[in-house]
Amino acid sequence: MKRNNFIERSLVGTLVFLKESVFSDDYAARRAFLQGLDPRCKLAAILMLLLAVMFSRNIYFLAGMYALCLLLAVSSSIRLGFFLKRTWVFIPLFSLFIAVPAIFEVFTPGQAVARLQLFGLSLTITRQGLASAGFFFIRVLTSVSLCVLLVLTTRHYALLKALRFFKIPQVFVMTAGMCYRYIYLFIEIIENTYLAIKSRVGTVPSTKKGQMVVAWNIGGLWQRSYTLHNQVYSAMVSRGYTGEPRDMNEFSAAGIDFLWLGTAFLILGLSLWQTYYLN
Amino acid sequence: MHIPDGYLGPATSGVMYVLMLPVWISASKMAKKTLKAKQVPLLAIGAAFSFVIMMFNVPIPGGTTGHAVGAVLVAILLGPWAACIAVTVALVVQALLFGDGGITAIGANCFNMAFIEVFAGYYIYKLISGKSATASGRRVIVAGIAGYIGINIASLSAAIMFGIQPLLHRAADGQSLYCPYGLGVAIPAMLGEHMLVFGWVEAIVTALVVKYLQKQDPTLLEAVEEVSR
Repeated sequence: MKRNNFIERSLVGTLVFLKESVFSDDYAARRAFLQGLDPRCKLAAILMLLLAVMFSRNIYFLAGMYALCLLLAVSSSIRLGFFLKRTWVFIPLFSLFIAVPAIFEVFTPGQAVARLQLFGLSLTITRQGLASAGFFFIRVLTSVSLCVLLVLTTRHYALLKALRFFKIPQVFVMTAGMCYRYIYLFIEIIENTYLAIKSRVGTVPSTKKGQMVVAWNIGGLWQRSYTLHNQVYSAMVSRGYTGEPRDMNEFSAAGIDFLWLGTAFLILGLSLWQTYYLN
Repeated sequence: MHIPDGYLGPATSGVMYVLMLPVWISASKMAKKTLKAKQVPLLAIGAAFSFVIMMFNVPIPGGTTGHAVGAVLVAILLGPWAACIAVTVALVVQALLFGDGGITAIGANCFNMAFIEVFAGYYIYKLISGKSATASGRRVIVAGIAGYIGINIASLSAAIMFGIQPLLHRAADGQSLYCPYGLGVAIPAMLGEHMLVFGWVEAIVTALVVKYLQKQDPTLLEAVEEVSR
């Protein structure tokens, strides 16, 4: 079973990915606060809030921003348990793990607050170290939460169309839109391939053979997808593609959108004022 | 390798966006000039391909697994400019559409993976493989070397970005505001894990996929000339 570990892991990874994506679509379709906002205003506001978090040097401000994220999640009909799971795993927990050594004097010298004996070593925890780790963790957690809020409450095509409004070159936006669809196709192919290997081969005899299996899959995936691009282009042409993509839906911003945009602008202003004026 | 939001301060994030801007503009112009309309889906396929490569768990000795970035492989298959767009798009899709974060660090991530890794890996591959035949064993070994060096240079760049944070942003009492480790910790930690583990995973995947394509369909390894013709 241990030899098959990489098959199991890849299968679990793809299944979790597909399951989460289905949930995300479900949240984006709900009628609630963030879902009701104009995608352009929502994207601009989230970017301003991300900048506010990035510039801030005040831990209370960062804690307040995280509380705002939770409030936005609840007001957007996102189940709090799902939101916490989605935002804490993997990046913030990984960040917490790598931030822990920073609390010790070895990495962050400063005013000692506690001493620990670990495996015969005497380690000193410093106030500056605790603050560094705390700052780092809450900043990462709040940033990830803002990104997840944007993704969960916006349909992918609306988000891509909003990018065009910000003058992102067409080649990037169109490629991103097509890439998004291909990812699902490829994930399905990976899942089916691994299931086929598991059901036919049973066990993979060695690490070397396992590496070959992965490489064949990646190579095979490229081979299959390369032949696809001509068919995709023909399909695009038959649907009226002339080299310039066209949008079918138009956005319309209302008073609430501008109010939200103004609030985000004020929060960013507050963060910059705290950082550059008060400090 | 993937830098999330909150690890880098505004100065580093801003400078990386500024540095990447001319690269993106050049890549966009090169793609427009060299890609025929019918090859546009190929860029999207390349982007999706570079995204899903990270989902393949590769077994490594000791019973554990790791995953490759695949940037050098995509550069070998599509050429450096198209690969630059493909990896950029994969990183943007990951950050924006799948909520993995890293929106403020997109410039830095693209600098490491879509620029440094892609161009360093591709030109090492071109330089050492020289005029050897598409199906030669030399190209398999060179692909592995290019993958290994490419990812290690990119990881060194990421380590420098992490390591300069305590120098650039520190409160008056000495506490760090972003990534808390200096160059003395960040460089050995990042380079160590990439030189010992992830570099080998990248090398194995890049070399074996090139070997597979040499056997199954060598024209796909020549497609880079077709794409940039």
